[in-house]
Amino acid sequence: MRKYELIRETFCRRGYIWIVHVVWLVLYGGFWWLFLPESEKEVGDFGRFLFIWGGFFLALALSAGIFGDDISSGRICVLITKPLSHGELYLCRLLGLSLQAAAHFILAGCIIVILRFVMRKGSIEHLGIWLFASWLLFITVAALSTSLSVVVGRIYNSLLILVVVVTVYFILGLLLSSMHQKADTGILTAFIRYAWPPFELLSKFAGGEYGKYSLTVGRFSVSKSIACVVHSVFLTVVYSIIGIILLRKRQFSRQRD
Amino acid sequence: MAMSNNDDKQAAVVECKKLTKIYKKLLAGKSKAVCALQDISLSVGKGQIVGLIGPNGAGKSTLLNLIAGLIFPNKGSVAVCGHPARSIQAHKGLGYMPEHPVFLGRYTARAVLRYHGALSGMTRQAISHQMDKLTEKLQMDEYLDRCCMDFSQGMKQRLALSIAMINDPKVLLLDEPSNGLDPIGIIQLRNFLKELRAAGTTIVISSHRLGELEQLTSDYMFMYRGQVVSFADKLACGHAGRLRIELVSGGNAIAEKLLSPSKVLSVSDTELEIAVDDPGEVPDIIIDLAKGGARMMGVLLERENIEDVFVRLCSEGT
Repeated sequence: MRKYELIRETFCRRGYIWIVHVVWLVLYGGFWWLFLPESEKEVGDFGRFLFIWGGFFLALALSAGIFGDDISSGRICVLITKPLSHGELYLCRLLGLSLQAAAHFILAGCIIVILRFVMRKGSIEHLGIWLFASWLLFITVAALSTSLSVVVGRIYNSLLILVVVVTVYFILGLLLSSMHQKADTGILTAFIRYAWPPFELLSKFAGGEYGKYSLTVGRFSVSKSIACVVHSVFLTVVYSIIGIILLRKRQFSRQRD
Repeated sequence: MAMSNNDDKQAAVVECKKLTKIYKKLLAGKSKAVCALQDISLSVGKGQIVGLIGPNGAGKSTLLNLIAGLIFPNKGSVAVCGHPARSIQAHKGLGYMPEHPVFLGRYTARAVLRYHGALSGMTRQAISHQMDKLTEKLQMDEYLDRCCMDFSQGMKQRLALSIAMINDPKVLLLDEPSNGLDPIGIIQLRNFLKELRAAGTTIVISSHRLGELEQLTSDYMFMYRGQVVSFADKLACGHAGRLRIELVSGGNAIAEKLLSPSKVLSVSDTELEIAVDDPGEVPDIIIDLAKGGARMMGVLLERENIEDVFVRLCSEGT
């Protein structure tokens, strides 16, 4: 019952949450309807649009101030005095976001399928795997944003991630192109691939670059596709642990009287 | 007793040992640090109500926050029901009402209470039972299904108190609970807290309404600049009351002839103000004055209340 209430609270946290969902769903439908993916490349373009908007921007929009709002309003003071662990509080919030995203992506899939059925044109090939990859990216970004939300206010936690991600990709892109001929680029690409939110791994996984949706055995006798999923989940866990530690170390007080 | 540095006769439900709390600003030097509490010890027994009083910035809310486990002390320790303040075990028996309660605006009062009951690990049945009890006591029945964002300040206070009480806590921490309450609400709150005390709930209450506190408890902690002034001692050392006597004439001569100078607070030809440590002394003083030839027109005993002592201590700078 405790977990149910905490998860439910995440759904009802802000009035604008439902507006965000509707706007995003309209975006997916509009993109599909306008650009009508037919070829494999077009399908990939639509998948990447869904991946970035659903997996990244939606996570930033929904997780903004997820702890920051409670901390700035002082509501956290009552939550913290309840007999529940900081980990439970954090994980239920993240779970609430993940379930919200799962419902969102299922609905997005239904809208595209209905559009395909109505228009009798376009391709919905690999839509499921793109939706799944978007959901995984959503959870990872949401975990990062939720953790950041413990220490910065609602205005900053999403904006900071957005600015940092864009800046880092821009700078690293420049560095990689300038160091193209050198062997040192391996460290940079490894950092981007493994420590950063898994944009590259998951988009390659969804795009079928690690084998056409088959269990291709990779270097470590594990399917690279599965490895991408596992790595994404692992990053989510790491980001969450950081968030839980921050929550445990944080002090909550509004006044010094 | 709820005083610092004294021995406990009964098992302490709330125990603070040599607490020091310093607020520092990130990247600011030591000169910017504020010492909110300094070496404070407090022991509160079962069924005791302790009032924290002091001017703004005295450290009352900081002490409550430390007991609630919201902040960490720089030195010292806090235990609630024998467990460290921030532990789940301590929070099982704790109810906390902040000075400025905030709720999820889209929830009704019923949903808010159900939510907090669930967070406290209560069953649906237990929540309903406790909710019925609290809404009856605090007269919230007609507001239960209204959205919290439409509540007046008084209703928000009632709801915040209900939230703090939803798990029937052993220790209740109240930060300015009567803020925004109407006179009837204040009386209801006072009666409710008295009932809780009778039932064995330990209450630590911070309030600026000293008259209200006086009706609830005689255990106070007067705090000033992060330190505790033993309030009971100050009260005993001070004047328990003042006797105002109206005379026909000759006030100065009577005071000189019949009264000890340390007892005379003010004197004029037609009025005398005498310090009285015990109201039982009043008849003897009157008889002595009458025998000494004082022609009295009126006598009034003004007892020094907690508010007078508070003002006096503040003006003395403790």
